[in-house]
This record gives sequence, C-alpha cells and structure tokens, in this order.
Amino acid sequence: MAVTSAAHVTAAPPERESLNDWLDRQAGRLFILPAVILILGFSIFPLIASAYLALSRFKLAPGGYTLTFIGWFNFKKMLTGSQQFHLLGTFGAITLLGWVIMLATVALVVWGVVRYARSGRVTVVGSIGRLITIATALALSVLFAVNLGEGGQLGTIATTMFYVAGGVAVQFALGLGLALLCAKPIRGRSFFRVLFFVPLMVTPVGIAYTFRMLADTAVGPFAPLWHWLGYAQTSWSADAWTARFVVLIGDSWQWIPFIFIVLLAAIESQPRDEVEAAQLDGASGWQIFRDITWPSIAPVAATVVLIRAIEAFKIIDLPNVLTNGGPGIATESLTLHAFIEWRALNLGGSAAVAYILLFLSTIACVSFFNFVVKPMREARA
Amino acid sequence: MTIRSWLAGLAMAGVAAGAMPALAAEFDGVTVNILTQTGPAISGPMQARAPEFEKQSGAKINVITVPFSDIYQKLLTDWSTGTNSIDAAVFAPQWMVDYAGSGFLEDLTPRMEGDEALEQDDIAPFFREFSQKYAGKTYMMTFDGDFHMIFYRTDILEELGKQPPKTWEDYLDIAAAAHGKDMNGDGQPDFGSCIGKKRNAQGYWFLTSVAGGYIQAKGTSEGAFFNTEDMTPLIDNAGFRKALEVYKKTSEYGPPDELNLDVADTRVMFVAGRCALSMDWGDIGSMSVDPSMSKVTGKVGATILPGSSEVIDRTTGEFVACDADTCPHAINGLNHAPFAAFGGWGGGINANADPKVKDAAYAFFSYLSQPAQSNQDVTKGETGFNPYRMSQLEDVATWEKMGMGKENAESYLGAIKTSLNSPNMILDLRIPQNQRYQQVVLDTAVARYLAGELDVDATVETVVEGWNEVNEELGTDEQLEAYKATIGAE
Amino acid sequence: MSVLKRLTEPKSLDSMSPLGAVLVYGGLILWSMVVLFPLYWIAITSLKLPIHVSAGPVYLPFVDFLPDLHAWRYIFVDLGNDTLRPYLNSIVVALVSTALAMLIGSMAAYSLSRLEFAPRLASILLFLLLGAVMIVAVAGFGVPWWIAAVVALALFLLLARAAGRTMRASLGNGDILFWIISQRILPPVVAALPIYVMFQTVGLLDTRTALIATYTTVNLPIVVWLMYDFFVTIPKDLEESASLDGASRFAIFFGIVLPLARPGLVATGLLVLILAWNEYLLALFLSSANAQTMPVLVAAQNATRGPQWWYMSVLILLMILPVIFLTLLLQRFIAKGMLLGAVKG
Repeated sequence: MAVTSAAHVTAAPPERESLNDWLDRQAGRLFILPAVILILGFSIFPLIASAYLALSRFKLAPGGYTLTFIGWFNFKKMLTGSQQFHLLGTFGAITLLGWVIMLATVALVVWGVVRYARSGRVTVVGSIGRLITIATALALSVLFAVNLGEGGQLGTIATTMFYVAGGVAVQFALGLGLALLCAKPIRGRSFFRVLFFVPLMVTPVGIAYTFRMLADTAVGPFAPLWHWLGYAQTSWSADAWTARFVVLIGDSWQWIPFIFIVLLAAIESQPRDEVEAAQLDGASGWQIFRDITWPSIAPVAATVVLIRAIEAFKIIDLPNVLTNGGPGIATESLTLHAFIEWRALNLGGSAAVAYILLFLSTIACVSFFNFVVKPMREARA
Repeated sequence: MTIRSWLAGLAMAGVAAGAMPALAAEFDGVTVNILTQTGPAISGPMQARAPEFEKQSGAKINVITVPFSDIYQKLLTDWSTGTNSIDAAVFAPQWMVDYAGSGFLEDLTPRMEGDEALEQDDIAPFFREFSQKYAGKTYMMTFDGDFHMIFYRTDILEELGKQPPKTWEDYLDIAAAAHGKDMNGDGQPDFGSCIGKKRNAQGYWFLTSVAGGYIQAKGTSEGAFFNTEDMTPLIDNAGFRKALEVYKKTSEYGPPDELNLDVADTRVMFVAGRCALSMDWGDIGSMSVDPSMSKVTGKVGATILPGSSEVIDRTTGEFVACDADTCPHAINGLNHAPFAAFGGWGGGINANADPKVKDAAYAFFSYLSQPAQSNQDVTKGETGFNPYRMSQLEDVATWEKMGMGKENAESYLGAIKTSLNSPNMILDLRIPQNQRYQQVVLDTAVARYLAGELDVDATVETVVEGWNEVNEELGTDEQLEAYKATIGAE
Repeated sequence: MSVLKRLTEPKSLDSMSPLGAVLVYGGLILWSMVVLFPLYWIAITSLKLPIHVSAGPVYLPFVDFLPDLHAWRYIFVDLGNDTLRPYLNSIVVALVSTALAMLIGSMAAYSLSRLEFAPRLASILLFLLLGAVMIVAVAGFGVPWWIAAVVALALFLLLARAAGRTMRASLGNGDILFWIISQRILPPVVAALPIYVMFQTVGLLDTRTALIATYTTVNLPIVVWLMYDFFVTIPKDLEESASLDGASRFAIFFGIVLPLARPGLVATGLLVLILAWNEYLLALFLSSANAQTMPVLVAAQNATRGPQWWYMSVLILLMILPVIFLTLLLQRFIAKGMLLGAVKG
C-alpha cells in the first residue's frame, strides 16, 4: 500500500537510518497493519469458503463428508423453486396498500434522481451505485406489495426488512424522546442515565427468554390483565402480525438504550448559547428543537441509525426463542432461516440464505451511508 | 470434489487421554468427554452417577452439555471434521444413521454381548432389536424408552362419564366435553387438549402420531413415511389428510397460544392441572408424581395412541375398512400404530477415540443402564429417563409408593407395555439427513397449515414436493435402500 | 399571574414549568418502570419454585409466595465448577478481546485519521484473485493450504508492482474505513462454519484463544469507526509540536493522543465489552467443554423439561451484575464518550 504522510511526504529516505527512524517512518502502516491482517484473515477466507458452500451440496460420506458443486441450484430453489415461499413469501394480488407502497418508493426514487442530476456532480461510479440502490429499493417495494396483497404472506426477506425498518424507527423515536427528557434540567440525571442503559447489558438470549416469560398469556405477569381485557381465548402468538410486534418489543427494549445514550450525549453538547439566546427570544420548545438541536445532532443520529440497522439485519435470538419463527414462518428472520437450514445440515442452502442476507444488508447499509450519513456529515462540516 | 483430504491431513487428534499405567483402578487417568443435552433431565442422572463410577473405575467423566437443538450439529461437526474432542455422546437414535453410516460410531455389538451385568434380555425388544441397531449392528445403548402415548385426567373422565380414548373421534369428543372446565380449582377455565404444536419443536412428531393409525397397519416394516416400493411419500392419501384435519381440530380445545407451546410447556401445564388430555412421551408419568411441580398426583392415566377402524389402501390412497387382511394387528377392530418418536436417549461412542477412552466410555454407559442404576433413575421425576426394561414395567409397587396410585401405575405401565409389545410400532424416520425431511419440510408445512397459511391440499402438495426434492438431491435409490434397511423391509 | 401561566412557564431558563416537570418526571418514571419490570421479574423468578411459575403469575415474595433459594443452590452448589468455569471464560474472553480490539482498533483509527492511504485498486483485485485461486486449489485439488498460501503470497509480491503500473486507480481513506465497517455487516452465520474449520485446522477449537481472536476481529470495526471520529476531532497542534520536539509517532500516540481520547476509549470499550460479554452464536460454534461462555450456559437451560426459568434467571442476574458495576464506575466517561466525536470540535 502506498502511504503518504503529511509530515513525511517530502522526506527522501536518508542514506542510513536507525531502526527507530525506520519504525517511526513506517508507523502509519504499522498502526493499521494488525487490523487489516485480522480482518482479512477472518473475513476473506470465510467469505470465499461460504460462497463455495452456497454453490455446493453437502453430504455425509463414510469417514467424513463430500461437497458436490451444483452451481446456482440452492439459489434457484429459493428464488423460483419450492422454497420461494420461505425466502420471498407468497405472492398475492396487489391491493391499494401495495400500490401506495410502490408509488411512494417510485416518488422517492424520482426525487433522489432529480436532486442528484441537479447537483452537477454526476459521475460514472456514483450513477452505478445509485442504479443498484434504486433497483434494490424498487424490487423490495414490489416484494412488499405482493406479500401484503390478498392471499400473500411475508417471506423471510420481508420479515427481516420489517424488523430492520420498524425496529429502527421505533427505537429511534423512543430513544430520542428519552434523550430529550433526560436533557431537561432534572434531578438525578446520572441515575436515569445508568438505569436506562441497563437493558443493553443483558445478553440477547437472556432477553429473549425473559420476554417469553413476560409475554406468556397464561402464567406471565400480564396474564390477569390480558384476561381482564377479554382476550383469554386469544394469544399474540397465533397471529402473524402480533407475533412480529412482540418480537419487535423485545428487540426495542434492548436497543433503545443504545440510541438513547448516544443521542443524549449529542444533545448535551449542542451549542448552549444558541439555545439560551433562542429561549430569551421566546422561541417555543419545538422551534428550538427544529432549528438548533436537530441540526446539531443529525450527523450523530444518522450514524447511530446506521450502526443499529447493521445489527438489526442480524436479528436471530428473539424470534428463535420467542416463537421459533412461528406461527407458520411469520416471525422468521433471514439469519434464523439460515440457522434452521444449517441445523438440518443443509449447509449449501444455509450459506445461500446467508449470502442473500449479506447482499441485501450491504446494499442497504452502503446506500444509507452514502445517501444519508455522508451528506449529513458534509452539511455540518 | 472433496475438501476432506486437506482437513484430514491436518486434523489434530483432540483426544486428551494420557496412557497412564493402571495402578489402582482400571481407568486411572482416563478422561471421557461425553456430550449431551443441558439440564437436569438427561445430564442430571449422568452427572449424579458419575462420582460413584469415577470412584470405582478411576476414570474422569466430563459431561459437556449443549442445548438440545445444537447436539446433532455439534457432534457432526466435531466428528466429520476430525476434531474428535468428544469421545462419546448421549443423543437421539434418529441421528444414528448419519453418524454410524459415516463410520463415526463404534460398533458396540461385541462389547454388549460379553456384558452380563447389562442384562440385555431385560431390555424391551423394540429397543434391543430396532432402536439400538443400524444395519444389523448395535451402535447405541438405550437409557430411555420413548414413544408417544395419550395421558388423561382420570378424575375428569370419571366426572364426564367417559372412557379413555380409543380413536381420535373419542379424543376429540372428550376434549370438547372437558374444554372450559376448571380442572385445578383456581377458578379459571382449563383446556380439553394440550399438544405442543410450536414450530421447530415437536409438532411434526405429534402429527405423525395422529396419522400413524391411518397409514401403517401391517407391522413396523411396512413403514409410515415412504412407500417401500419406490420411495413415494405417504402423504398424498386420505389418511394423512384426515390426520391434518384431526390435528387442527384439537387446537379448538387447546390453549389459545398452543401454536407457541412446545412439549415442555404442555407437560408442565398438564401436571399443573390445566389440561384434560395430552399427547406426550412417558415424561408426564414421572412428572405427575413429582411434588415440586405436580398438582395432579394420582389423577393421571395413560393409554396407547388412539387407533382407527379404517386404514388407507397403499395403491389407491383411499380408506378401506379394517379386517383380518387390512389390519392384521388390530386390537378390537381398531388399528393402533404407536409411534416411537425420537426413540429415546441413548449413548454412542466415537469410533475414532482412544481405545482406552472407548473402554471407559462403554463401562460408564453400561453402568448407567444396568438395572441397579437405571431402575431407580426411570422412576425419578426430575430425570427425563423413561422405562425401557421389562423389569421396570413389572414394578408397579415403586410407582405406587411414589403416589401414583395402583390403578394409575398399572395404567401407565400398561400403556407402555401395550405400545412396546405392538408389532405395528412406527419406527421414526432414520434415513440420512432425516432432519431435512421432518424438521425442515414437514415441520414448516405443518406450522404454516396450523397458522392458516396453507389449506390441507396445499400442505399435502408442499410436503410431497419437498420430500421428493430432498430425495432427488440425496439420491432416491440410496435413500430407499437406507429406509428399507432401517425398518427391516424386504 | 394566571394559574395556567404559572403552570406552563418556567421560573428561570434552567428550570422547568410545574406542568412540564410533571410531564418530564412522569415520562422518566414510566420508562424506569419499563426498564425495571423485566429485571424485577427475573429477580423474583430466581426465587420461585417451578410450581410458582407454572401455576400462574405470583408477584410479591413473602406475600404471594415463599421465596426459595433452590435455584441459587443449584447454580452455585450443584453445578459449582460448571458455573464457575463459563463465568471465568466469559470474563477472560470479554476482557482480553476488548483490550485487544481497543488497542488494534484505535491504532488503525488513528492512522486513518492522520495519514493518507492510497491502496492501488489493482493490488486489491490481484489479492482477491489470488485468494480465490488459492481456495479453489486447496478445496478442489487437495493442495496443502500452507503451500498454497506461500505460493499465493509470493505471486502477490511479484505481481503487485506490475499490476500497479498498468492500473493506476486507487482508493482513499474513506474507502478503507468503509471496508472495515462493512465487516460488521457480515452475518455471523455466514462466517461461523469457515471460522470453525479454520480453528479446527490449527487445533484451537474450544479454547479461549479462539474466542478471543474471533471477538477481537468482529468488534474491531466498531472500535475503528467510533475511535476514528474521536481522533478526527482532536486538534493536531499538540502532536505537531511534539513531533517537532523529536517525539516518535508511537510516543505521540500513546503519550498524547490516547489520554486525550479517554472518554471515547472508555465508552467504546464498554460497548465492545458488552458485545463480547453477551455474544452467543459464535460461542456456540467455537466452544464445547472448556471454553463455554455464559450466554451458552443461559440458553442451555432450555431443556426437554422446558426452560428452567429459575436457573436461567440466576444466570442472567449473574451476567448483568458485573456490567452494571462497571457502568456505575465509568458512567461519567460514558456521557462524554458516546458522542462518536462527530459533534465535538
């Protein structure tokens, strides 16, 4: 790797240098080298090996196992074959809701394209990147439209996207709300800060089991309330959407603290003088938030949403423990899908699901980084 | 193409046993790593018995526990990659074909033949002849007798004036009558039938138990999963369809969250007095006499899985009435097919372990299974081991002493005995990668059917398509051979 | 002054109106209950007998039910060493992997924040190509992996310069940063099996070393990302004057930069520590008897007799306590540290 350092760019290598000097000159590379080596070792080999696995069939054989190369079979089976219902869901006739989703996506895309075209910074790479993002967004919106249509059902892709989008939205809204509350001149702020941070410390598996206890409609703590409300003969776990929402509640309980703590720190460091000046001018709380607080925390907010989204794509513990993916396949996420196939020794199918997840989450996260996080950071700089 | 060669070339033997000279006891300095399921049910009795055994033999027994759903994969990864850090395991016999077929399991036949303390003849024939064996050789030692039965509340049936269910119509009838009654005195309405229907749990086994009586009539070797002629799935027929309908119908008399209950939840509910009927392995019997969890001590009866007066014709797929030809093993005109779901925990030994370690592992397994130990263990409520020796089935007195009541003890052991003695027992699917047939294809389809995502026809179609697909992927002919070998078909 | 006005207007800039205060404290207390209730439920479940759980909800110890220490006894006495071993494993693995990830990650982040890297696109493509060829050679043709690795590395060194001359495009720091972050996107299920095979090949399965190495790597991206933002906001003047005084880069980094970034280090470290402490899926793959960690033990309490809620609750409590203690200890840093740097400066 070619390294040019601001401090050393002009310094020609001296005739003879001591080890110390050499070390010092190479410090930049030496600093980054361990990280690069570790990441290469732990990502390149697994990535390539998994890719190979996704294109193979695993079979036990005397003394060990065999891997047979079968091309795109595993992918075909899931995208167009017998497992299509699992990954992509069941397609139904598009209803009004579906049209709204698709139209909204198209409108968003058009708006983005127009803005990009007008920016005067159109490049080849930028255009290709945007094309990939647009194609993925459109494909997902069509998928949602047909899944939500009459007679349609969500597959693991749509369910995962629901966990990501719904989860991040709920967690961001509540996390921001709590941060704003804690930023008020209140007593015991550090007490609340530590208390609200606690759920993040509980191991996700533990949270999943705890919520399974709490959500039990027969012997859980809320069972009497549930019965009193007249729901004794129904259960959240029998309906696809309520089951998904219960998963979302557990996930939110754990992750709101993360968003809360980061946003609180950001809010606390917003320009005090500007806030005070606005208050003296009689600005309302909403105005202060809109004009001062939000612009100053937006870049952090975008970053924290991205971090959260990256983790959200990998959700597995909660659906696995709460519902095992049921009722039907309603709460099954992509990671759980891959995990179930893997457990049944369909290693090729499992790797193929995992690759589809990797593909989706990479496009989503890269797009979010480029089209939301970066502009916000630049706008501030 | 195989990557086995380079794995094998570099595999490091993980066997930790040092070959120390035998001074005091036979296995001084030998450590045996045994993998099994976490929790007191299975690892509990092993851990409890280990110290005595260690004192006698000098071996160190190291019980490693992982969650149930990970045992299969964990063992396979460890053994197939040549890691061999696990010397022996207590696992489900259904997986034996995958391990034994690949040569990972030690053939225990010679050791067991010379082992008098084991009292092999005492072990129920179904386990001795079918469950422990693969292709004629014994690869596992059974510690636990496992098959489905129906449990019922004797007090509730008496109150309703009903007899224990003989057919699935009876079952539904009792469930309907009992549903909504308060059965444990807490003032809350309780449930007619509790069956663990959670996805990725045991739901597909219970469905097979319902379907069995309709599908298999001519003995274990007829098979209840595939046609032994050409490996056609036995799914697209009147029997399986009816089973789907009955299975769904039981939900109407079950708890509202039944789709999210696994068997562990339903058995806890049953012994808490919240269900009139349940389908389960033998565990409810021993749990019902455990005072720390049971409210129904002395009120639990058991019976063989319900039967049917008509069975399917293998060529047409339609029902025909039972007669001496169609149902040779019928009891009172009803064809029963008890289902040895899962098949009972058993111990197997890694063929690639150090010989001394293998001997020590065998000695420990034998110690566990010998009547002196196992006859105590199967009656303890906290262990998951159920009776599998004939002597255990005769021992009504012990169960009575524990509070089961003479009548109930006889009914419990009687139900086990009738099931075990039935020549029409269904052996669980044991062909290679059976998990893909059952846990992935069948289980997902059944879960979707119960959730209302699929109707009966679509469910049948999905399962048939899925099973055929796995057959094709793994080789239909090979799978057919394996299937015939496990059930002893011609 | 009207009552309404007195209720809705603050007395001074730094205080709240009475109505506002009621709403704010109401919200805070409500959320405290949302946070505390599940924890309370875990705590009392650890004191329940099975029958208390299975026969319907009971809420208050001594009032609704008589607390019993059977679960604590089981975990501490019956399991004894089988609890202690995973606990020690978790502590060692989490602490060491966090320390390593922090060290390696902040070095990389510092380097990225101060120097311009320009790796050639050609070298990267070449590297990927050789990697793929190596895998195919090993997997498909049975070439021993170390021969393939040595050959591939030699070829890479030979061809890198030539390739660089023909193709001049290069990447920037932003790309490297994003490449590092993108490693976090990788779902563990994709990597778990190959990583298992990797550790199996070198004989490190079921050791703490394997878990430490894995956790260090999966958490590196977070460290690099968060610390990068911190270093960017630290003014360069100090370092430049130190450099003029003849201090080496190492001395500057460890002596000046790291102390300045302490809040960020503590906050990031705590986050990474929590992630490592709680990780389940990879631990399940890579450990069996010796290196088993606490989350695996928690999950393992779900057995054929149903989840053993009481044991599970004890274990969860045991897992939360040290982290809470640590958070209390470090809480003043966390407030400053969670800024991600981006709004500082």
